[in-house]
Amino acid sequence: MTWNNFIWFALPAMACWCGAGTTIYHKRGSTPANWLMLLGIAIFAVFIIGFWMHLERPPLRTMGETRLWYSFFLSSVGYVAYRRWRYPWLLSFSAVVATVFVLMNLMKPEIHSKSLMPALQSNWFVPHVTSYILSYAMLGAATIGAIIQLNRPQGYAPGIFDLIDNLIYIGYGFLMLGLLMGALWAKAAWGHYWSWDPKETWAFITATAYVAYIHIRLRKGTASETFALWMLPVAFVLLIITWLGVKYLPAAQGSIHVY
Amino acid sequence: MTSINKRKFWQSPWGYPESIAVTAGIIAIGIILQLTVGSFNFYLLAFPSNLIIAGLLTAACVTMGFKAPNNHWVRWLSGVSMAVSLLMGLLILGIIMGFTPQQADETATNSKPGFDIMTRSWPFVLIYSLTLLSLGTLNARRLIAFRWRDYAFYLNHIGLWLLLMASGLGYADMERYVMYVREGETEWRVYDDENNIRELPLAIELKDFDMDVYPPRLAIIDRHNGQVLPFENPQFFAIDTDTPTGVLAGWTIQLEQYIHQAVRNSDSTYREVPMPGASPAVLVRAYNDSLLRKGWVCAGNQTQMVMTLSLDDHHSLVMTTAEPRSFESDIVVYTKDGKQKSALLRVNHPVSVGAWTIYQYGYDNNAGRLSAFSSFELVYDPWLMPVIAGIIMMMLGSVCMLWIGRKVKTTKHDLE
Repeated sequence: MTWNNFIWFALPAMACWCGAGTTIYHKRGSTPANWLMLLGIAIFAVFIIGFWMHLERPPLRTMGETRLWYSFFLSSVGYVAYRRWRYPWLLSFSAVVATVFVLMNLMKPEIHSKSLMPALQSNWFVPHVTSYILSYAMLGAATIGAIIQLNRPQGYAPGIFDLIDNLIYIGYGFLMLGLLMGALWAKAAWGHYWSWDPKETWAFITATAYVAYIHIRLRKGTASETFALWMLPVAFVLLIITWLGVKYLPAAQGSIHVY
Repeated sequence: MTSINKRKFWQSPWGYPESIAVTAGIIAIGIILQLTVGSFNFYLLAFPSNLIIAGLLTAACVTMGFKAPNNHWVRWLSGVSMAVSLLMGLLILGIIMGFTPQQADETATNSKPGFDIMTRSWPFVLIYSLTLLSLGTLNARRLIAFRWRDYAFYLNHIGLWLLLMASGLGYADMERYVMYVREGETEWRVYDDENNIRELPLAIELKDFDMDVYPPRLAIIDRHNGQVLPFENPQFFAIDTDTPTGVLAGWTIQLEQYIHQAVRNSDSTYREVPMPGASPAVLVRAYNDSLLRKGWVCAGNQTQMVMTLSLDDHHSLVMTTAEPRSFESDIVVYTKDGKQKSALLRVNHPVSVGAWTIYQYGYDNNAGRLSAFSSFELVYDPWLMPVIAGIIMMMLGSVCMLWIGRKVKTTKHDLE
């Protein structure tokens, strides 16, 4: 299965996700929405597995490949979180964002060669990157929750902070695992666990922003709750810079972490 | 809690306003120091100063946390409002650092407030130090009131403290050198990052260097200027026997035979010979609406000529230089006390000898597989153990967080 086959999996998966995202709001749409969402995830998973087998290496190296995982994880995490918390918007928003990332891969496919440079040939490679992408999906879902809440004039949605805080704790757990595995890998590959390479600096910034959110939430009070909610979209912008934006920064020219 | 609303600024017990003011004040003092005395000299922290500072810091944290865990100053220093203020301080300094190209050179700076040497600038060093003091005191306070159910807290907070303390203070003791060894020779001299030669208490013998490459890519170039077609969006075709057909700039390319280690025959064909001077070669058919060409293409190397396939008067099919798949050095390490250690050194697979770690670093890029030397990076880091301990504790703490999520707490005490 090569990148040329992608469109035959991408279109049905997107159709399923968008179908699930809309039928969920119908009176008796819950069951078909569940099945459509799962079907979309399954179609997408089949492509990833086939693509992995074709490449003979994990498809985690290029930006396009990480976006593939992001669509997969975000739709899966969105579905599981929807089953747990029963917010229909959680399902539809994760379906929309997963679709956007599929569209990005269709519009701007990147070269997907089989070669993997020696520094990337490590047992840390797969857990490091999947941990990060999984965490981005969790933190993305939490950000959606925060934005919905910030635009809700009638006060807090019931249980909204339980949902957001849990997503942040789980997402932060994966974020730190990704970062710390990266540090151990850097020690084995480059001789030092932390070199303040631009990608590392931005990973530090992102992690610090989410630790700040977690600590702000330890105190009760409307002021700190509002501040905490505003912190999440800001932290997510920092996360996006870390993930997608670093290579465009003048500070990152000459970084060994840019791909 | 209601008393907080009534109290005035700077009136105890302190909370957010004072924590933010103190953090901002310390950053301001840092900037003034940076402007007047210049950047912080990390090598002042070299052994034994860093060990003494680590001892004093631990003593201060333990004294405050154990002797006066409920004193309102100690609670403020190690409390949530201080933690959030310090995190915001680190966040702002981090963002400035993220947008400012950093100077690799230890002494050079083009920015008066030191934003281009952030980790060696006074504001960063001061906030980092205060974070260590605050976090260390919190750890001591929570340890004196030890509870098993706080295991995730201990793993995350003590782990982070160990990591920040040992990596910050240990930086001055770290030594990194590069050693170049020719095949068959033994070397003990190394270069530091300013290209000064030093002699080390260990020597490395290079018995053999070998590398493997990926199948290269094909491209069509304009013979006059060497540019890859199409000019605006150069295309490459990765040689892969699973997908033998592709399109390059209007030409269909068909792979007929690929030899990974090929040597040229006298009639300009190729045969397989596994030896260091061999190079990948491919037999291809290339055709468009009017022309069909067939022939061998080879990127060549120091011992073999390049072979291209002429398509028409202006264009040729060429092979790119292959990317390395792996390279490895068969070495023996000798130490001063007469120990020997044989190892096969590869990227991602370093070897440790005492407090030294040896890494495969590079080779002669122009010669590739024919490289007559291999280079190694030698790293000495006596503070590595507490750093690794901190990383492992935080990894376990992260697993706890993603497993448990956030427990809704109803406790009234103010220990967090």
